[in-house]
Amino acid sequence: MITNDLETIQKMMLTGSLLIRLKEDDNQGLLVKAEMNKAREVTIPEEEFSVVGPKESFVESLTTNLNLVRKRLPIPQLEIKEFTVGTLSCTRVAVLYISGIANEENINTALQRVGDLKYHQILDSSYIAQMISDNDNSPFPQLIDTERPDRVAGVLAEGSIVILVDGSPHALIGPTTLVKFFSALEDYFINWQLASVLRVIRLFAVSFSILVTPVYVAVLNYHYELIPKDLMATLVSSRSLIPLPPFLEALILELTIELLREAGARLPTKVGQTIGIVGGIVIGTASVEAGLTSNVLLIIVALAALASFTTPVYKMGNAIRLIRFPFLLLAELWGLIGIGIAFIFLMGHILRLTSFGRPYLEPIYPPRLEDLKDAFVRLPFKMQEKRPIELQSPDTVMFSKRKADENKDIDE
Amino acid sequence: MKVPVKDQYLINPSLVFFIVHSMQIGVGVLGFQRYVAIYTEQDSWITVLIAGATIHIVIWIMYKMLNKEQGDIISIHENVFGKWIGGLLSFLFMLYLIALGITILRTFIEVLQVWMFPLMKTWTFSLVYLIAIYYIIAGGFRTVVGACFLGVVIPFYLIFTFLAPLEFANFRNLLPVFDHSIKETLSSFKTMTLSYLGFELLLVYYPFIKKPETSQKWAHYGNLFTVILYLYLMLITLVYFTPEHLKRTIWATLTMWKIIKFPFVERFEYIGIASWVVVILPNLCLAFWAASRTAKRLFNVKQKKVLIAILTITLIANTLLRDRASIDLLNSRVSKIGLYFIYGYIPFLFVCFSFINKVRKKT
Repeated sequence: MITNDLETIQKMMLTGSLLIRLKEDDNQGLLVKAEMNKAREVTIPEEEFSVVGPKESFVESLTTNLNLVRKRLPIPQLEIKEFTVGTLSCTRVAVLYISGIANEENINTALQRVGDLKYHQILDSSYIAQMISDNDNSPFPQLIDTERPDRVAGVLAEGSIVILVDGSPHALIGPTTLVKFFSALEDYFINWQLASVLRVIRLFAVSFSILVTPVYVAVLNYHYELIPKDLMATLVSSRSLIPLPPFLEALILELTIELLREAGARLPTKVGQTIGIVGGIVIGTASVEAGLTSNVLLIIVALAALASFTTPVYKMGNAIRLIRFPFLLLAELWGLIGIGIAFIFLMGHILRLTSFGRPYLEPIYPPRLEDLKDAFVRLPFKMQEKRPIELQSPDTVMFSKRKADENKDIDE
Repeated sequence: MKVPVKDQYLINPSLVFFIVHSMQIGVGVLGFQRYVAIYTEQDSWITVLIAGATIHIVIWIMYKMLNKEQGDIISIHENVFGKWIGGLLSFLFMLYLIALGITILRTFIEVLQVWMFPLMKTWTFSLVYLIAIYYIIAGGFRTVVGACFLGVVIPFYLIFTFLAPLEFANFRNLLPVFDHSIKETLSSFKTMTLSYLGFELLLVYYPFIKKPETSQKWAHYGNLFTVILYLYLMLITLVYFTPEHLKRTIWATLTMWKIIKFPFVERFEYIGIASWVVVILPNLCLAFWAASRTAKRLFNVKQKKVLIAILTITLIANTLLRDRASIDLLNSRVSKIGLYFIYGYIPFLFVCFSFINKVRKKT
């Protein structure tokens, strides 16, 4: 690039370009990109690991990441719009979509929101995720973040929009829905029956994780009539020596688990294992033996924590961790009715959420039966003929089923 | 006179099914059987069918009017009776809606106080519940409809729990059939229609439906589903209870839940009542949404402010209603108004409306 504009020269030189001038007092010069791009090697994904399927994950360099996506979608329709965000960090942000498949309105929303960003420093894509999400007061993530280029390629083909940020190994996907957070990429690598069962188990695990400790508190506080005699005997014998009321008991154990989780996440891996053993075995057994908590509750809380780890998207797991506590509090106040109240608040909140202006609870509400093919269950590929209605793609058909079926007959 | 609503706030016609149905199912389901069976005993299921059929006619009349007007009850009133009298009538309709909301919430709290927490304060529960309602209504009509939808879908599993009493069913209880006079049937008919009330809110949310003419069949299906549900409940109640027993059972549905038994759960009515928190949510949301919407159209004020005022009134009224007698009085008054409204006022309005339209066409 030949230029005599001082400002461009300065900007380009600061981001790693050379300036070549023929004579020393020439006011024109040639700018050559010569940046050194030191980046981590492409490694296997750590947060979204899958046993089968490709094992590449994004790294901190935008160029490499774009290459990883482009490799999977070598078509001219894949468009990349670049922005520079951050007055100090001058971070490159790329918005990716496939023109003709992604909905115009969605593209404009994404481009406008990224273009309007005013902040001094962008260190990670999660900064952007928080700034452009529809409701930033919600504990629920409204954009999926993924470190897998294959997932990115998959959702681009469905008509979603992907945002990549330089310096961040996580891509953001939107618009998205609540159920998408419970689908792992591995669901598409194994056969559909198994994938469907796994998804249902995951959803069950999440509701279990939210509800089980509040129900324990509610039942033991107010509704012990609910428990049949035989089961009650087990509960009573495990709780007979506990001095604390069920609510405090549950709260203490829940907080202990949160402590273990935080400590495990902050420490290096090798020490982390020790913490797991100390926490899980020593504290758990000791607190039961010391008569501070009942072992029934210990089992329940541990199961609930385990269940909350089943969400494939890490940020959703965090949201679930948090919303357990209001449920617990209301269960202490009004028993099962309190859980009902907490539930309607949750319901109202999720109903009101949107992602890039599209309803978050789709396909449940608004009810779109067609989109259920890839929500709670994953039906076989031959039934995934159309793009999800949620994304309002102008080109609704992914592949023609009739063409694929044309030559199929008995003995042919 | 068309009432303009922005395109992005419109709802799919098929959702009318859920709005109509969810509004009809409410606290009444927990104990409607007794009030009908007092008059017609084993023939009560016939009353359920007859009352359901008449509701279909009223829905049909309402659609006739609305399709012509392409607006809501406020514009119909203004059209037929002029600005002042029409406005007054719309205002009365709004008061009815608020009273409806107050009745539903207070009756539900009474169920809670009788069955679960005798010492629970009315105002604390009302306050928390009304905050949830405000939060949902503030999300707009689409969110309210979402609450209606989930309020039908999520508690749907409860339908299967009513199969448990069949273990102790005595089908001879249904005999003899057609053993009651027309007069008795009429009296039970009057109380049964109360359980069907709630569909009349269609008069307010009609402009929010996309291609509203096509939604008529969904409204009928919604009502049909309610009829089937009531019939199902009534038949099971009749075969489970003897007529004498039923006359002494105030909350028949709740009593039937008592006999369900799993290895890990007994006394199912607690879970049932807790699920009812979700069931009555659409009732209240829709009633208060409709009331605030009517006020907005009448007085040209911000719906949010009116809503807060209405919810505050509800909270105060709920706290003031202390004993069984006053709640019962409120219930019977509001349902009587509702009865006259659907069988008296709506046909009357329809006659006036078509008369005026005909006169105007001529001139």
